[in-house]
Amino acid sequence: MNTAIIFDIQRNSFVDGPGIRTTVFFKGCNLKCKWCHNPESQSSKPQIMFYKDKCTGCGRCKDLTEKDAEFVCFNDAKKICGKVQTVENVFDIIRKDKIFYETSNGGVTFSGGECMLQIDFLRELLKKCKEINIHTAVDTAGSVSWEYFAKILPYTDLFLYDIKTFNNDVHKKFTDASNELILNNLKKLFEHEATVSIRIPIIPTVNDTVEEMRKIKEFLAPYKPINIELLPYHKMGEHKYMALGMNITSFNIPSKEKMEELNGIFQHK
Amino acid sequence: MDERIESLVKKTVSGKMYVYPVKTEYDRCDLFLPPIKMSAKRVCEYIRNQEPLIVAESCFTGLIKFDGSVEGDVFNRSGHVNFGIACNNFYNKPVDNLLTFEWQHSAGDFAKIINGGIVSIKDEINKSIEKHKNDAEATQFLETQSDICDALIDWACKCSEKALSFSKTVSNEKYKKNLEKLSRALKNVPKKSANSFYEAILSLYVCYGLIPDSIGLIDRYLYPFYKKDVEKGILTKEDASEYLQELFLMLQARIHISSDRFYRGGESHFCVGGYLENGEDGFNELSKLIVDSLMELPTWIPQISLRWTPKTPHEVLHYMMDCERKDPNKRIAFVNDVPRINGLMKYTGFSHEKAVHYTMIGCNEIAMPGGIVFGFDPMNIVRCVQNTFFNRSDDIVKAKTFNEFYNIFQEEMFNDLCEADKIGKGFQTIRERDCNLVSSIFIDGCIESAKSVTQGGTNTYIAVGLLIGISNVIDSLSVTKQLVFDEKRITMEQLIDALRNNWNGFEDLREYILKEGLFFGNDDDFSNGVANRFFKSLDNWNTGDNYLKKPLVFGNLVGYNEHHKFFGDNTKATPDGRFDGDMINFGIGQSKGKDRNGLTALLSSVAKCDPYSILTGPSVTNVLLDEQLVKKDENFEKLVYLFEAYFKMGGTHFQLTYVSKEDLINAKKTPDKYKNLRVRVSGFSDYFVFLNEGLQDEIIQRTTHAR
Repeated sequence: MNTAIIFDIQRNSFVDGPGIRTTVFFKGCNLKCKWCHNPESQSSKPQIMFYKDKCTGCGRCKDLTEKDAEFVCFNDAKKICGKVQTVENVFDIIRKDKIFYETSNGGVTFSGGECMLQIDFLRELLKKCKEINIHTAVDTAGSVSWEYFAKILPYTDLFLYDIKTFNNDVHKKFTDASNELILNNLKKLFEHEATVSIRIPIIPTVNDTVEEMRKIKEFLAPYKPINIELLPYHKMGEHKYMALGMNITSFNIPSKEKMEELNGIFQHK
Repeated sequence: MDERIESLVKKTVSGKMYVYPVKTEYDRCDLFLPPIKMSAKRVCEYIRNQEPLIVAESCFTGLIKFDGSVEGDVFNRSGHVNFGIACNNFYNKPVDNLLTFEWQHSAGDFAKIINGGIVSIKDEINKSIEKHKNDAEATQFLETQSDICDALIDWACKCSEKALSFSKTVSNEKYKKNLEKLSRALKNVPKKSANSFYEAILSLYVCYGLIPDSIGLIDRYLYPFYKKDVEKGILTKEDASEYLQELFLMLQARIHISSDRFYRGGESHFCVGGYLENGEDGFNELSKLIVDSLMELPTWIPQISLRWTPKTPHEVLHYMMDCERKDPNKRIAFVNDVPRINGLMKYTGFSHEKAVHYTMIGCNEIAMPGGIVFGFDPMNIVRCVQNTFFNRSDDIVKAKTFNEFYNIFQEEMFNDLCEADKIGKGFQTIRERDCNLVSSIFIDGCIESAKSVTQGGTNTYIAVGLLIGISNVIDSLSVTKQLVFDEKRITMEQLIDALRNNWNGFEDLREYILKEGLFFGNDDDFSNGVANRFFKSLDNWNTGDNYLKKPLVFGNLVGYNEHHKFFGDNTKATPDGRFDGDMINFGIGQSKGKDRNGLTALLSSVAKCDPYSILTGPSVTNVLLDEQLVKKDENFEKLVYLFEAYFKMGGTHFQLTYVSKEDLINAKKTPDKYKNLRVRVSGFSDYFVFLNEGLQDEIIQRTTHAR
């Protein structure tokens, strides 16, 4: 049976693509972006998350291990993040909201982590969704072999594709990976006439410059992404770093004026 | 807004447009008359003795208010002695923690008066007198109705004369002409058929005081007048809007400013849109004008429901939800015609042609034009869960399967429904001791049968039952099935023990239930299945073998009162994790974060739970949304689609409140800082800080949906 490790399934998402969507979050990522707001998505194994401030010291979790996926803390202080799921399980949840997708031109979004790392599972799920005409979106950082893309292209209606920075040195420094493969895959996606929506996280001191945005714009000039969305860095993931015992790299939040300036670059022809 | 209306608004919101009743000295020799004749004579004297309220800005006048010295209208029931006795004894004072007395709503058939005039009613009365000529009691009743018609015609004449004499004191030429026009029109309506849009509203305005509840489907019965006048070039959209606004201001001004009801939206509720007899959607240009006109007014009353149909254009739902989002006074709610018309046909026995004319009324009740709602007394449906676990414990421990357990529960539920029916019949017996004379001419069947609306005269009643605590029952059944029969985590004895000890010593079990219980509202097959079974049982019981001799449509609202709190106060612990004394839930939905899977799951559960359309009485679904969610227009558009899908799935009702939980908690602690925080309560809206504690707590416990 085909399984994958999933850390969340959110029904009624308004933010992960067009219309009303269900977003499936895959666990495991091959990038280590310093600004990642889903740090629990990085490891491909189940993890214990512990929110110290909520703990009453009841002791029920004293023998807890990562394998106890069904454990329930009564105070929401401790939880096992990441659960092995079958294609059928996930598909059953996705299809529950079909009428909401149909009414709103929404669908399902596979996100993460990097959902493409569990490609066979993803492919099977995408295929099943397409069989019952559910719109599918794949949210990816793109740092996987082109073969992976080729496998899912026929079943993917939309790619939500991240570009972090055009400067490869900066990219390597802040994500632990080169951007060459990412940009090449993006080109190929356009060449295969895939529908692509570009998402650029705006991280002060990393990529929040006019020059950077111009380069990205120039790169995209020959192509026709359906949308280019700039996502300002936020600190809403910080408590999760603490819960996982991970180190945090903190950035400033970009100002409204800065976001307007950078957005302006893409609005002018 | 027009200057004239602006001035009327100022007067209305400062309480200056309140119609004070004029005290009437009755002829003491009327005591020689039979009671019904005496009562009618007094009503007529009272009507003729009132003073019309006319100000320089008036285009309309003629509202009557009753002061309790005679048997007044059927809604307020002032002067209804026995109704007063029932209120003192049973209003908010349940019998056996099972059933408590409630008000009854009714909607006058205003279209009939507007189109035919009082003269047509008098014709009906004369025909009925002929039919009942050998029945002295019937004839006597019909004569009272004829007398009241005459008094109403005289009242309109009095209003006409006053408008004319007052016009002579007014210097503003435009206002003077308005008053002269008013005086002329009152010579025609409500006595005869209205000849214009203006006269149609005037006819309604004058008659409204005799049955002051819902104005009904004004976008239907006023539309032919609107269309004709606009086509003839004698009415502009602006004029029509002003007339509507003055009508709405009267509905607001009717309540005294010192009453908390002045700020509550449940006092007058009507609908726009909905199916027409020909199967098309009825939302028309007048519907939009009505909504626009009301939204311009900074008032609280009346409130509107959009009757949605599968043929309602998306743009109309979007427009109404956008108005609702921007309305600081929260006057708009949404209902679905499909389950409701199914329910009215199936249970109430109306034809499709008749059912399409229903209107929402009061907080969120339903009535037909020319009809009344019977029953409607709120019942504590959680009591049968208590009886099952506390009185039938010897039987349920023997249950080997959930089926066996459920059958015992079902017996208890049926017993309670029958018991509630008996108590309800008692309430109705008291209500029937009053003979209402004032409103019967507006209720279908009363003239023909020669009986008062309160004494069985109507043929257009809807029988309604109100069940408070439905989700507690479904959750309790679902959790019992899950823990005792499926997971076998605990035995039935342990569960009974936990409840008897009010969870003392079973804290972990309770915590587990709260975290992992398969509660209603999560769109899982397990709790959905239990919900279906519960409604199926209700459907099986609902054969019409009750005191109203008609199957009921059920609802679940609490109106202005905290039934959910006082029922809860006296209901022991229940398997859904509820403590002894905790309030129970009203509406059909979920609270306290028990709906864990987001809005699509909650709405799916609600829409799917009742395939029988039995929950199509006064049923409410409250949804609390984080205001951040809809700040972006793009997200708001998705919200419109979300509720459109919910209606497509069969959801009956929704109403929205956009607020953060922190604001609600802070508002309870420091009300002075949150005076303007307006919320949807139970089919009506109100300022949060004005609500009693039980209602405030209920709203705080609703789950906030932030995505």
